[in-house]
Amino acid sequence: MKELNDLNLPEDVRYTEDHEWTKASGDHVIVGISDYAQDQLGEIVFVELPEVGDSFSQGDEFGSVESVKAVSEIYLPISGEIAEINESLEDAPELVNESCYEKGWLVKIKPSDASQMDNLMDKTAYLDMLKG
Amino acid sequence: MANRLDITPMHFWHIAKRANMADFAGFNMPLWYDTGVKGEHLAVLRSAGLFDTSHMACIRVKGTDASKLLNYCFTRDLDFLQPWRCTYGAFLDKKGFCIDDAVIYRFDLTNFMVCVNAGMGPTISNHLEENKNRLNAEITDLSGKTAKIDIQGPNSAKILYSILNNADTIFKEFPYFSFKGDFDSNENEFESVTLKNNTPILLSRSGYTGEFGFEIFLEPSKALHLWEDIFEVGNSFGITACGLGSRDSLRTGAGLPLSHQDIGKFVFKNHPWEFALPYNKEKTGFTKSFIGRQALMEGKNSSFTLLFIGDSLRKIHPGDSSRVLDRSGKDIGWVLSCATDMAIDYLDDKIVSINSPGLPDNFKIKGLSCGFIQANEKLKPGTVITLKEKKREIKARIVKTIRPDLTARKKLNYFI
Repeated sequence: MKELNDLNLPEDVRYTEDHEWTKASGDHVIVGISDYAQDQLGEIVFVELPEVGDSFSQGDEFGSVESVKAVSEIYLPISGEIAEINESLEDAPELVNESCYEKGWLVKIKPSDASQMDNLMDKTAYLDMLKG
Repeated sequence: MANRLDITPMHFWHIAKRANMADFAGFNMPLWYDTGVKGEHLAVLRSAGLFDTSHMACIRVKGTDASKLLNYCFTRDLDFLQPWRCTYGAFLDKKGFCIDDAVIYRFDLTNFMVCVNAGMGPTISNHLEENKNRLNAEITDLSGKTAKIDIQGPNSAKILYSILNNADTIFKEFPYFSFKGDFDSNENEFESVTLKNNTPILLSRSGYTGEFGFEIFLEPSKALHLWEDIFEVGNSFGITACGLGSRDSLRTGAGLPLSHQDIGKFVFKNHPWEFALPYNKEKTGFTKSFIGRQALMEGKNSSFTLLFIGDSLRKIHPGDSSRVLDRSGKDIGWVLSCATDMAIDYLDDKIVSINSPGLPDNFKIKGLSCGFIQANEKLKPGTVITLKEKKREIKARIVKTIRPDLTARKKLNYFI
């Protein structure tokens, strides 16, 4: 288990209370789970993602990640339509553990209101939340 | 203020290895290490896994009426238990509910050890005291005075071979659910099984993974030394430290219940572990009188505990919010346990494990979810069910056993 100060928490992403991260990339927003989340879940053996074209509101459950022992729901950080899913996770769900901000991203969305990003936490606020 | 958690003699080893730790029944225990639950689970099938199970509790019961007392409180008929054999069963209350499951070790006519779950030492000791009346039995709760280390997997015997004095003699005639030695310096057999550093141990050919292996009981002050010695020898065999996560997925795949989750909330009958009840040969009644007998005979429990295997490795949250639906969508029960056994998969219509013979080349085992349901009707093996929790649904089927080709019962010689 990682110490909080050892967590990889990039400065250029925004975080949610449910431990998802999000980052703008052109017209889209990329979504994944944080280093803290993947460390707490342990080895991920299955990732359930929505279909391209599905629409969700901010905070909606849009899929789940499973470890050997548990199922954890994942929630969309901002409202929008699913533009792309990370298909490589079907055969290699462990990418979420190995590279949660790069190869282990979950979905790209076309945001319906990009200003919702402003409600999310930066690294300092997220780390403060984790430290309680 | 939060209660302080108990720790085991290996606690600081777990911390140094940065295990993911959690509260389990009042103990701070490792859930998994760097290897991860999947790797730990597979290590037990392929080589060997080492588990710190020192959170479990032991009770010594001695005296001319020890057998009588235990026979009255425990579900197995101990009149059939030979010295140096152990047996799995349960302590029931008058309603027939399971207080805890346990393994009872018989040293001789008047000397027994009871191994119960974490934190249950005082509960079961008190239960025995309350039912002792005028019987001559001395009950000693050894909670905190016993350490326990389980080595499980096909290389277990080879690894222990280098650590034990007189391993050849000890490994001769060592069937499943038998044990040798003692760790209590007051007992006759003390020092009959010793480690190379002369530490006395109780060595039991048992475990809770469904795979070949041993459970080792010893004094807490000697435990860390043994733990480290096993790694020193076991590293070349690929031994892996295993946490409670893989212990749970292994026992689920082996079809073994978790006390207070799969057993305990209902009358202890109509489940896959009826071998733990003292039925007569005709199964028309019981061979002895025991607490809970009346409730079992009355047959008030009309529900059934059944094993299932999912169609994929996907799981659902077990517990009160989960539901089991039959083909017509009728609600017929709930899910008690649900884990992924990463060592099994479907090959055509048959379940195979990584240890099954004759697997096709390049056949990749992905794992399957599995566990137990509590259903209000008895379903035949092969019956298709849906497990549901909130919006999540998975398809599963009722089975008689889960992980095939288990190694626990194989002869010891096969592994040397």
